[in-house]
Order: sequence, then structure tokens, then C-alpha cells
Amino acid sequence: MTPQEVQAATREGAVVVDMRPPKPFATEHIPGAVNFQFNRADLADRADLALPRDAAYIVHAEPDPIAKVAIQILGDAGFTVKGYLEGGLKGWKAAGLATAALPLLTVDDIRQRPDDFLIVDTREGFEYRYGHIPGSTLLEWTEPWSAMAAVTDDKPLALVCGDQVRSAYVASVLLRLGKKAQLVFGGMADWTERGYPVEKTAKSVQR
Amino acid sequence: MIFKQYRFEPLAQASYLLGCARAKEGVIVDPSDDLGAESYVLDAADLGLSIVGVFETHVHADYVSCARELSEMTGTPLYLHEAAKGLVKYDFTSISDGQVFDIGKVRIQALHTPGHTPEHTCYLVSDRARSDDPWFVLTGDALFVGDVGRPDLLVGDQALDVMDEATRARTQYESITRKLFSLPDYVEVFPGHYGGSTCGGVNMSGKVSSTIAFEKHFNLALRQPDAASFAQFVKDTAKPFPDNYARIKSYNLGLIAKDEIKGARA
Repeated sequence: MTPQEVQAATREGAVVVDMRPPKPFATEHIPGAVNFQFNRADLADRADLALPRDAAYIVHAEPDPIAKVAIQILGDAGFTVKGYLEGGLKGWKAAGLATAALPLLTVDDIRQRPDDFLIVDTREGFEYRYGHIPGSTLLEWTEPWSAMAAVTDDKPLALVCGDQVRSAYVASVLLRLGKKAQLVFGGMADWTERGYPVEKTAKSVQR
Repeated sequence: MIFKQYRFEPLAQASYLLGCARAKEGVIVDPSDDLGAESYVLDAADLGLSIVGVFETHVHADYVSCARELSEMTGTPLYLHEAAKGLVKYDFTSISDGQVFDIGKVRIQALHTPGHTPEHTCYLVSDRARSDDPWFVLTGDALFVGDVGRPDLLVGDQALDVMDEATRARTQYESITRKLFSLPDYVEVFPGHYGGSTCGGVNMSGKVSSTIAFEKHFNLALRQPDAASFAQFVKDTAKPFPDNYARIKSYNLGLIAKDEIKGARA
């Protein structure tokens, strides 16, 4: 699809699913796009867990060969895919169309200014229970978009997961829904590497 | 770090992906057109990596490189040693001996190792998440497991060949014994070819990696006492020439189009 065709389709409600890694997505993406990282092994399974079935999708992946494979996988999984953005972001910008960014945070930012954010952990419940950032709340990445729409953002939301794949997906959905979302790049991997405290709500079985 | 060796078995050729699992960035070394630029792009995407560069150890003579396509497809630099300036007819980002590239925590250092070709460069790699010290070296067609890259794959045009066979043999010996063999013994060796490849002699092992120490002790070509006996040994243990190498080399230099490679054998 040309950039103009993609833009027209998004105005009719189609969702751009941006399959690039979180960092390039955070730097610059098509406004309203949802970040859902490509991977041949489990893309269909992850999409089935998280992406709404009632939406029509447009793939943005770079370079184009990835987009073609992604369309095949999502189509086989029963999703409605209208096509892919030909020429990627370069073509989009050459057409004079606007882009958006997802603000990035480091674990040091939320460690030093915990009261400035609502820290949201997007991992699975079991991961959260085995150790999370004190004061963070759980919003699993597989929650429906209606649950994400219900999140209050009196403070900017700081999205966290193991690194930044699931958190970038949730952050992008929250941005799309008009929320103040920011991505903690490096996630729990950076947090624990720095030796910052974790809170545990799960107990291991007594033997 | 993330490290993968890709093997194209019909030519016993190895290409590599290395990258940082945290920075989510990686580079491809010596990509093969038989595997195809798309296969590297898809594999890097499967690992969640953005490709940020394409490295060539040298201009290859025995297989068709897809470095140019991959570099163009990903919009990233194609790195080749500065000695290739004036030889190849396409743009590349020139690198020099000792130059360092940081891909997240992964550090790649260029080691100019002329011999097989004048521009030949090995890539010494460390994973600084574990240690600043080197962990392994991509030896291209300088040092193989059990053997060395042959010095006699000449196109026959002095301007392109630059060094004759005798000079290449002597330089190859010096590059390996002085430069590669001064690396710590534990450094692992990952070559550009293995086993059935015709880019080395009859003593090439089917094993696809080794260590500096093991090759120092047991590589027969490098057990020779001096450069002259090394050159003679390499000549005596050479295999037949690779198929169609002059035309493949001409394509990899950017002198002829891809559809002109097939057909005439050298």
C-alpha cells in the first residue's frame, strides 16, 4: 500500500501494526501504530493472545520482505490484513506525512523519581509475583484494549516488562488510546542488573 | 550476546550474525547469495535484532556475496578494508586495521590480515557484558581449521590482483603467525570455510570452529619452520581451483552483472 492508501485506511479505523524492534518504533512511527514485534516462530500465537480480532490491520515492517512474511502469518492466523506499507517509514516521510514518538525512560529515571510516574508492569502474573519494582501495578500485556482504555493516567505511565517487547506493545496501545505512556527501555533486566530492590508477592513452596 | 554461524553446505561456506541481545542490534559478516539477503533479514528479525551493518572479510572468489543487496535492503553500511579502494566498483565504507565497532556490548575489532587477498581482514570479537578481552575471531579465508586460505586465486589482471602468488603466500604466513597467533590461546577461531571448500588445502577439517592454541599446535601448514616452506607446503597440498572463480570474483568486485557469472568456467 502507498503511504496515502495507508493513511486513508487508518482514518476508516484500520490499525497499523508496527513490527520493528521497540527502539526504532519509539524513535519514530506512524501515529496510532501498535508495536508488535515480528518473529516467525510465535507471531501467530502472540497475536492470538493480544491483538483484537475485530480490527483490520496494516503491516509496517522493515525491510519489505519481513512485511510480506508477516502478512502471510497473520492472514493464516485468521486476522484481517489489508496490506503493508511499501517503502516503510522512509516512503511515509517522503510523502510528507507526520510521525509520532514514544518517550523513552531508563530504569534510573524511575528509580530516582518514582513519584513522577505510575509504574505499570506488563509481564505475566507469575513473573510479577516472583519480583517486581516496588509500587508497580500489574497490567498483563494480553489484557483486552478495553482494559487498557480504563487505566487512569493522572501521572505519566512508565511501562515495564522483561526488556521492552511486551511493554512497548502496551505503551503503543495506550498512546493510541490517548494516554500519557512512556517506555522503560531495558526493563527488569536493567533494573535487576543495577541491583535495585524488587518486591515479591509469591512464596516458593516450603520443602 | 547473540552469535550464529550460517553454513551453506554445497560450498562449505560460513557466514555469521553477531549482535547484542540487550541493544537489539546486530551485524552480518560474509553473507552468501546462495542463502540470500532476505534470509539474513528474516533471521535477524526473528531474534529481535535490527541489522546495523554488513561486514566482508574480503572480496570473495568462490561464492557470490549478497553484501551489496543486504546493505541496500537494510539501509546500512557495507564495510570492507581500505585496500579494496580502487579494486571494487561500488561504494563501501572503508575500514582500517585496528578500527573498533561497538554494537551494544559487543565489540568488533578489525585485524588487517593480507595474504589470501590484499584487503583481507579478520574480525576479533569481545562480549563486554562478560569481559573486555577477546572471545573469538572470525578468520575469513586467512586461518581455517587445519589449513589456511589459498594464495593463488588470481584473476590474472595485475591491477586487480595487486599481489602475486608468492607475495600472497609470504604475507599470509606473516599475517597468521605474527597477528593471529599473538592473540590469547583461548580465543576461538570461526573460519569463512570448512571441510569440503576448495578455498583451502587438503588438510581442512570438517569441524567448523577451533582455537588459536589448537591451530598453533596442530595446523600442518603453520607447523612449517618459515615462510618459504609454508608457501611450498600450501602449493603441495592445494586442491583443484574453485568452480568459475574468476567470474565470481569479477561479480563480487562489481565488474560484471549477476547474470554474467554463470556459463563460462574459469
